[in-house]
Amino acid sequence: MLHVIDWLGSHFYGLFTAGGTQFVGLVTGIVPILVVLLTFMYAVVRFIGQERVNKAILYSSKYSVLRYTLMPILSLLLLANPMAYTFGRFLPEYQKPAFYDAAVSFCHPVTSFFPYANAGEIFVWLGIADGITKLHMSIAPLAVRYFLLGILIILIRGLLTERITVYLMGRKTNQLKTVTTQTQAS
Amino acid sequence: MAYHKVRVNPGEGGWGKGLVIAPHDRRSKVVSVTGGGIHPVAQRIADLTGAEVVDGFKTQVPKEEMCCVIVNCGGTARIGVYPRMGVPTIDVIPSGPSGPLAQYINESNFVSGVRPDSIVLTDYDGEVEEESAKVTNAAPNQIPANPFGQQNGDQRSFFLKLSGVMGYIVGTLYQSGREAVDMIVRNILPFMAFVSLLIGFVVYTGLGHDLAAVVAPLGGTVWGLTLIVLVGTFPLFSPMLGPGAVVAQIVGVFVGTEIAAGVIPPQYALPALFAIDGQVGCDFIPVAMALGEATVETTEVGVPAVLFSRQITGVVAVVLAWLASFGLYTGSHIK
Repeated sequence: MLHVIDWLGSHFYGLFTAGGTQFVGLVTGIVPILVVLLTFMYAVVRFIGQERVNKAILYSSKYSVLRYTLMPILSLLLLANPMAYTFGRFLPEYQKPAFYDAAVSFCHPVTSFFPYANAGEIFVWLGIADGITKLHMSIAPLAVRYFLLGILIILIRGLLTERITVYLMGRKTNQLKTVTTQTQAS
Repeated sequence: MAYHKVRVNPGEGGWGKGLVIAPHDRRSKVVSVTGGGIHPVAQRIADLTGAEVVDGFKTQVPKEEMCCVIVNCGGTARIGVYPRMGVPTIDVIPSGPSGPLAQYINESNFVSGVRPDSIVLTDYDGEVEEESAKVTNAAPNQIPANPFGQQNGDQRSFFLKLSGVMGYIVGTLYQSGREAVDMIVRNILPFMAFVSLLIGFVVYTGLGHDLAAVVAPLGGTVWGLTLIVLVGTFPLFSPMLGPGAVVAQIVGVFVGTEIAAGVIPPQYALPALFAIDGQVGCDFIPVAMALGEATVETTEVGVPAVLFSRQITGVVAVVLAWLASFGLYTGSHIK
């Protein structure tokens, strides 16, 4: 009987000690850098000012390559997830879904260098990066490739989603046209 | 004397919903407690309302006579002192409620980040009145305002400007630090706590070894990762897997744990990052469309457009990431 209680007791503590060890590892390994980095980034955004970045975003909205690369990146860096998507209001309707697709797809690549832009969801990146750290390897080459590849992929996503949106909008208006002509004919 | 009402809106990065400042005969003084001199925000409020503007550093004003106070506080003392006295407080630095008196600060007595252009007249909606208010009220107020400038303007203005710039830099950094800590405490530590419990359980019970047998072929080959992203971006699943990126984050932590354990080769970290995240934001499309002020018609086609596009680009992303992972962690990067 006592053995059972002993067994329960030691495993109860063992289980939570294992969890606690994980927690200490995460807190001491990640939080100190993150606190300083976040402070710096928030300050930089304030010093540069919203209006100057707004101008760059408006400029980049005009060209399709910039619209699905620079524009979503600047929007995220300036307003972070989720307010970044409000910049869609500067675009014509058929580009809005594509802009969102590009912006939201950069939500996690952005955290590899600018965690403040989506600090609430950093574990998509950090969870995997932490595994590399535990192997005593540098996460820098992974971070660079994740960030750059992220840019390429949001461009592909933006361009494709824009095409699909235009196609779907066209099909919808065509349906409306045929319905109205049918009713007129009858 | 009749006074006008003004609405003071929060500025860029500011806190609060805005205050209406309505001076009357007993509460008729706009007090500028901004390190000497009259801050342009105080001057503008005085000009628009017709109230008297006072330099709070030179003249002591009883709190019963203040209609509002302008401070440049980065968030310790003044920020809370005046709200506690019941005086509407306008902070020209974008600070939030903080400091030892933070509990007295609320949306009905505090607004921050205010600049001269965030102040508008509210009691008249015609432009004529606004113009006349400016003209008639600016004249008498320039007389008491000017002596301050003349008496000590030239020698002090440089130091005033310098201290203003220093105050702005320190205040901004301090506020940024507060935001950073707030983000850590509110979002990051809770997630770490929950992830720790989960991993602790997996590690302690030895479940990790059983999981490895399943995860290794899925996470350690390009076919496995393609399968993950195909399932994740399937239009019926993707909106359900999205919220808060919780699923992606947990899977990310598991993949990381398996990389650390040597089950998944480290170069697969790159394609894995894209494989577990193909569904990102698929739950949020209608809300994001509303944030972007899209019409109902756009939202209706936007949802399927993004979902279909993901089914294709999700796989494309994984394959590109797999190709880009060649040469990653093949010895040269090991510390």
